[in-house]
Amino acid sequence: MAVLEMPELTALAPPMILALTALVLFTYDSINPRSTNRPVIAGVATVGSLASLGVAVWFILSGVGTPLEEGGNGVFDLFEGQLIVDQMALFFMIIVGVVTALVSIASYDYLRDHTYQAEYYSLILLAATGMSTMASANSLVTIFIALELASLPSFALVAILKSNRGSVEAGLKYFLIGAMSSAIFVYGISLVYGATGHMQLDAIANNLDAAEEMNGLLGIGVLMLIGGFAYKTASVPFHFWAPEAYEGAPAPISAFLSSASKAAGFVIAFRVFTTAFPLDAMQTLGVDWSIAFIVLAIVTMTVGNFAAATQDNVKRMLAYSSVGHAGYALIGLAGLTVDGGELVLGAAMMHLLVYGFMNTGAFLFVALAEYWGVGRTFEDYNGLSKQAPVACVALAVFMFSLAGIPPFGGFWSKYFLFTGALEAASTNVWLLVVAAALVINSALSLYYYSRLVKAVWIEDAVLERESLSQPTGLYAAIVVAAVMTVLILPGFGPVADAAINAAGAIVA
Amino acid sequence: MVSAFEFAPAIALLPLAAFVVALVFGNGMPKKGAYAGILATAGSLLLSLWMFATVAGGEVYNEGLYDWAIGDEITFHFGVLIDPLSALMLVIVSLVALLVHIFSLGYMNAEGETGLRRYYAELGLFTFSMLAFVLADNLLMAFMFFELVGLCSYLLIGFWFRTRSAPSAAKKAFLVTRFGDYFFLIGVVGIGATFGTLTFAGDASFVAEAQSAIEAGETFHGLGAETWVTILGLLVLGGVIGKSAQFPLHTWLPDAMEGPTTVSALIHAATMVAAGVYLVARMFGFYAQSPTALAIIAFVGGFTALFAATMGVVKDDIKQVLAYSTISQYGYMMLGLGVGGYVAGVFHLMNHAFFKALLFLGAGAVIILMHHEQDMWKMGGLKDRAPVAYYTFLAGSLALAGIVPFSGFWSKDEILYDALILGLEEPIFLAAYAMGLVAVFFTGFYTFRMVFLTFHGNPRSEAARDPHPLGMNVKIPLIVLGVLAVVAGAANLAPVYKLAGLDITFLEHWLDGAYTDGMEGMTYHEYSEMTGYETGYIGSETITLLIGAALSLGLAFGGAGLAYILYNVPEPKAHTENLGSARTVLRSNYYQDEVQVWIAEGLTLPVARMADRFDQSVIDGVVNGVSSVSLFGSGGMKRLQTGVVTNYAALIVLGFIALVVGLGVYGGWFV
Repeated sequence: MAVLEMPELTALAPPMILALTALVLFTYDSINPRSTNRPVIAGVATVGSLASLGVAVWFILSGVGTPLEEGGNGVFDLFEGQLIVDQMALFFMIIVGVVTALVSIASYDYLRDHTYQAEYYSLILLAATGMSTMASANSLVTIFIALELASLPSFALVAILKSNRGSVEAGLKYFLIGAMSSAIFVYGISLVYGATGHMQLDAIANNLDAAEEMNGLLGIGVLMLIGGFAYKTASVPFHFWAPEAYEGAPAPISAFLSSASKAAGFVIAFRVFTTAFPLDAMQTLGVDWSIAFIVLAIVTMTVGNFAAATQDNVKRMLAYSSVGHAGYALIGLAGLTVDGGELVLGAAMMHLLVYGFMNTGAFLFVALAEYWGVGRTFEDYNGLSKQAPVACVALAVFMFSLAGIPPFGGFWSKYFLFTGALEAASTNVWLLVVAAALVINSALSLYYYSRLVKAVWIEDAVLERESLSQPTGLYAAIVVAAVMTVLILPGFGPVADAAINAAGAIVA
Repeated sequence: MVSAFEFAPAIALLPLAAFVVALVFGNGMPKKGAYAGILATAGSLLLSLWMFATVAGGEVYNEGLYDWAIGDEITFHFGVLIDPLSALMLVIVSLVALLVHIFSLGYMNAEGETGLRRYYAELGLFTFSMLAFVLADNLLMAFMFFELVGLCSYLLIGFWFRTRSAPSAAKKAFLVTRFGDYFFLIGVVGIGATFGTLTFAGDASFVAEAQSAIEAGETFHGLGAETWVTILGLLVLGGVIGKSAQFPLHTWLPDAMEGPTTVSALIHAATMVAAGVYLVARMFGFYAQSPTALAIIAFVGGFTALFAATMGVVKDDIKQVLAYSTISQYGYMMLGLGVGGYVAGVFHLMNHAFFKALLFLGAGAVIILMHHEQDMWKMGGLKDRAPVAYYTFLAGSLALAGIVPFSGFWSKDEILYDALILGLEEPIFLAAYAMGLVAVFFTGFYTFRMVFLTFHGNPRSEAARDPHPLGMNVKIPLIVLGVLAVVAGAANLAPVYKLAGLDITFLEHWLDGAYTDGMEGMTYHEYSEMTGYETGYIGSETITLLIGAALSLGLAFGGAGLAYILYNVPEPKAHTENLGSARTVLRSNYYQDEVQVWIAEGLTLPVARMADRFDQSVIDGVVNGVSSVSLFGSGGMKRLQTGVVTNYAALIVLGFIALVVGLGVYGGWFV
């Protein structure tokens, strides 16, 4: 393969392409400020994110990141283990690439009257660069830097509708909670460093013995790290920013944050806890972090789903559902046991990939509704299927997939999570509670997801509506997301293999 | 060289092709698709005869063709089983279907019916389903086509769906047989789950598995193997009782007369009703292992034979009389099979197919003659005006009544003889025998009452004085069947063999596999051994035989003679008035319909209401309770989000501290 002969740095091509695209957009903007040439700007952003996605897919297919002994091209360790390109990194780079591409395409129409075109896209791409880097970060320092690189543009993106009070308020709240969470996180890093004397994840794992005297210190540090991840993944109790930020932000940004940013938060959590804090060593130290994740998973999915159940505002409902799904993905960490757990971790990865399509699609439908200006509540959505049947079919697919109804992708990933949790329950009985919570919450979620389907398909419109336009970019993104949500089912074999291999590689 | 059996699927597929052709192109074709059906069934008949000849040449065929579901424990497939029994049945079915198609030209086309395209398409599908059912090599495939047969009969009984009665009769037929099929399906699942196979024949058949299970003394679900086989057999029997119109699920059949008479001929002689008895014969090896199941079959059959015959006595509609005679005759077949008379049962199935098809087509001819009048009291004197119809009908009637030497006599006598010799050893079967014997009298009576009222005496209506002429397409099927009704008995002249020592029991040899190899476990002799029935005689075998034959023949003549005295007069009167209250009971069919309606309204409906109330109150109550609790909880969760950032910060910190304290205490960090 040609990949092999290139310098090792090329393994980082996916995030670098994203960064490069952001710089191209900056350059374009500085030469041609206030340009509203949307096709060029959105086109560059889309091409850049698709290129990053394409390279990541090509890498994973050609065996980059697969260990040499399994016939791959080997795991790429860069800058003395500060960054790593393995299967899991590529898997999450793909998720980030997919969501970024979908959001870029959809924003083309959404931003039609917007003043800050190039800024908007370059901020998205910078945030995506951060997320993509998070996927490969392998040291607490790089993790923190990548996390901030993803967060700072996000604050600006949420508040980008400057004249919109909700957007600005959401941006501010997001920033304040984010600042606090970052403070907690960085404090946690310092405690871990204090206990072990290392930042690099493998080195931390090798020096855990040194922390024997200071297990309380290490424990608090680990919990603070969990706080940082919980913030990024919008898990309880660090989720408070999410409903407000998602509701106030432009809908494509909500899609971007709730899908890509969440996935990125999970990848660092997966990596840190499997690499730096192996469960057996931590249990002897008295820091059994799997209990924390079990609690967080149950509480997060319950809070998210219950709060979503009675919302009137569609976007807010999706925001809470996004919190609920973070709870589902947390099962991936909660279900890790001393003797393995690659199945449940792989299931969480699959769920995040499927979620990247179905949740992005759902938020993009909201973007479409905002584009039409039909309103924000369930009632305002009544009878939309008469004017926009294609988009409403897609919406039904997203909703049923989010609820976990077969035959859509969301069913399979939830099913694997469920079986994975049951399997892990043989070593840790509490996972039975987790599995039960998963089922109960899924059943509850069907209630509010189907409410939306009922509104668009069954109810009659409250007010007479003119025929609605069909913005090409938004429609294309929604249809692609819907098709992928369905098609991922026949293609689930390879996806599941990729996810479980990736999980197996880091658990082992 | 290609084996004949390679073409076996074509026997069923030809009528299916006719179905498609008639459905798609019917309106543009001459005679609306009739020729397609005639050609297809003629092809099926030729192929069936070829199969028959090949089987006679000593070969049998048992092949799976297509596995459509493969599991670890069991595999479901479509396959073909051609042995003497199915080869015989194929010929019967395709022959009757062909004749019905030809007759339809006169009965349907010539009478200016509309919807002929639908008629021929459904006829094709019906024939296909029945032939495929006969070919089936496993119980599940048989069940599937059994259901398809039921569907087609529903469609055809309701052919005149614009009338009030036809759709209702069709629904009734569908629902009543479905009730039986429900048990059949459970039986299929039970057999599949118990033995892991559903094939009829071969070493790995469920019959063989059941036999070895009984021999090994295995137990299933705490029951002995034999009890379990009995339960499974009785479940399957549910479908048989429904389809073959045995008591108590016979009520659909008289109503089914609402369909065109040609359809009745097909349903009664060769397809729907025959399917039930054929199924018992097909898996006779299974039933043979359970004396209880066989006894139940015998008693259901004997009782139905008598019960239906008494109701046939008082009917005025020519088709109604025939309907009750069908129920009664299938009762005989069940009786025959139940007493271990496998050959006798199949023999009667064959003879009945010919003479009942003949009688129904004859009735159809009478209906054409009478300008679509079916009340026998408005007929009379048709004898001289339509001699072909008369003589063929008479031949069929003599066969039905069991008068020597017509075909029905031989088979019915053999059934009664089998019942008698078994009854002499196991007296309980004498009761079944007695019921069958008494039914002979009634059969003779109602048959000849029908003949005399229809054909003899003076014409009692304008239509009877000036009948509509009959075409050749009506006469040819009648003549073919008339000849068969006379001579078909020669296939198995068992009494003659026993008296004179002439070896002319062809059917017995045929079903015994005397002409074929590789039929292990499925021959008459093996079946007889399996049942383990002992037989007894009065004096010697010959004397018993003669007494039995004399009794049944005497009773048949008695019934016919009584009908002769009462009805073979120029102006017959309705003597049924003399029966008094018995007449009311008989005309109301022993209030069977009322009982079934009562079961539905008085029993099922209240239970359904109770279930509904339970569902509405308890189940819905729990569901609604859960949802109100959830919604209430949701309200609480929503209130967490106050919109004030300082609250959030406080909650985050509190939550974090709770986590630290909880995990810290658990992990012992603070000591």
